[in-house]
Amino acid sequence: MRWFRFAVFICLATVVQAGLVDIIAVTRLNIKPDLLLILLVFFSIYCNRTDAIITSFTIGFAADIIGSTMGARIISFGLFGTLLAYLHNVITIKKMPYQSLAIFITGFLTGLLVHFLTLLRGQPAGHNVYAALFWTSLYSSFVGPFLFLPSAWWMRIKTHRFGQY
Amino acid sequence: MLGGFIFLFAPRNLTNKFQFAFAHIFRWPLSIGRNISLSARTQPQLTDVVSRRKYNQLQNHLANLTEELNQERQKVKELSRMRNRRPLEGAGLVFADIITSSTDGLIINRGQNDGLQKGQFALGDNSIIGTISDVSPRTARVELITETTSNVAVEIAGLKTVIQGNGKDSARVQLLSIKHKIKIGDNVYACKKPGLLDAPMIIGAVAQCKRDNENPLLWDITVKPACDIEKLNDVAVIIMNPQE
Repeated sequence: MRWFRFAVFICLATVVQAGLVDIIAVTRLNIKPDLLLILLVFFSIYCNRTDAIITSFTIGFAADIIGSTMGARIISFGLFGTLLAYLHNVITIKKMPYQSLAIFITGFLTGLLVHFLTLLRGQPAGHNVYAALFWTSLYSSFVGPFLFLPSAWWMRIKTHRFGQY
Repeated sequence: MLGGFIFLFAPRNLTNKFQFAFAHIFRWPLSIGRNISLSARTQPQLTDVVSRRKYNQLQNHLANLTEELNQERQKVKELSRMRNRRPLEGAGLVFADIITSSTDGLIINRGQNDGLQKGQFALGDNSIIGTISDVSPRTARVELITETTSNVAVEIAGLKTVIQGNGKDSARVQLLSIKHKIKIGDNVYACKKPGLLDAPMIIGAVAQCKRDNENPLLWDITVKPACDIEKLNDVAVIIMNPQE
């Protein structure tokens, strides 16, 4: 794992997510793809288990920095990134439809956990949370697999060699 | 995981320091990204027609002046010959650029060093858009009136109440009895607050008014902000009695 490249990549993705992704936001709910979620799935699929766990928590921290409640995404991204890394030992997620499905399910589950952790902290939830969660996950699942190739190029990961351990 | 729980239950003013630090370090790319987003969203305007934003600004200014005039008339009536200070006369405005904007609030590039404090009101296009909720030396967070955590004392049709954000692009009033006459289009003003706001200022307008489903004796009022918060580039923070 090239950690310097990873750090630069995550900083870039975080800045883009915070400032630039609004361009492609749709509907009045301001639905936009979650780049950090896509990267979470990418690293969980293409890295070895230890690296995947470290990257999951790091990406969770980055997501918290630009989110509303610190801590919620570290937990949810870390947890589901770890689960996905373990799951990848059993199921190969190489084809684009499977990657899309992985992004959608991970996005929905992490979003749900973030929602409940936020409630646990005593912060009120907004309206249409579940609708926003569903559409954000769906949007990310459409966009995500197309970002895997440039991500793999930047991280110098050979996607065809790291299918299953 | 433990770190996550520590962050989750740590006081918000501590955890916000990370967010402020990020916003401060990456303020240039974030500002550029936001400007690009805004440019991409802005639709071409006709040259001989005033823009919607300018129109809203002027409408808000008019609403503020009208309310100010009403207040003044009331005071003149009540105090007759006593002299009075003009509202917001001694107030200072600190103009700030928006670094990041989301439904969770705005982060602006002014902070304690510029005289900002928690609770101060933030203006966008001459209307109240929120209050300062957290502040660091160089940055601050504006809690928008549309956020679920926001509660602002307001006045609708002469009645004092509280609006709470609904987490989307509007706010709600749920504590007004249906015996009061409220109609769509009524202006909503932020109430005066000693040391923070000394004249009512427009915050939005009633967009929907229906009976509350849970308690039919109360109104369920939806208030639309007076300006398009998503399209704001900058805000102004009201500082009463600024120290020069």
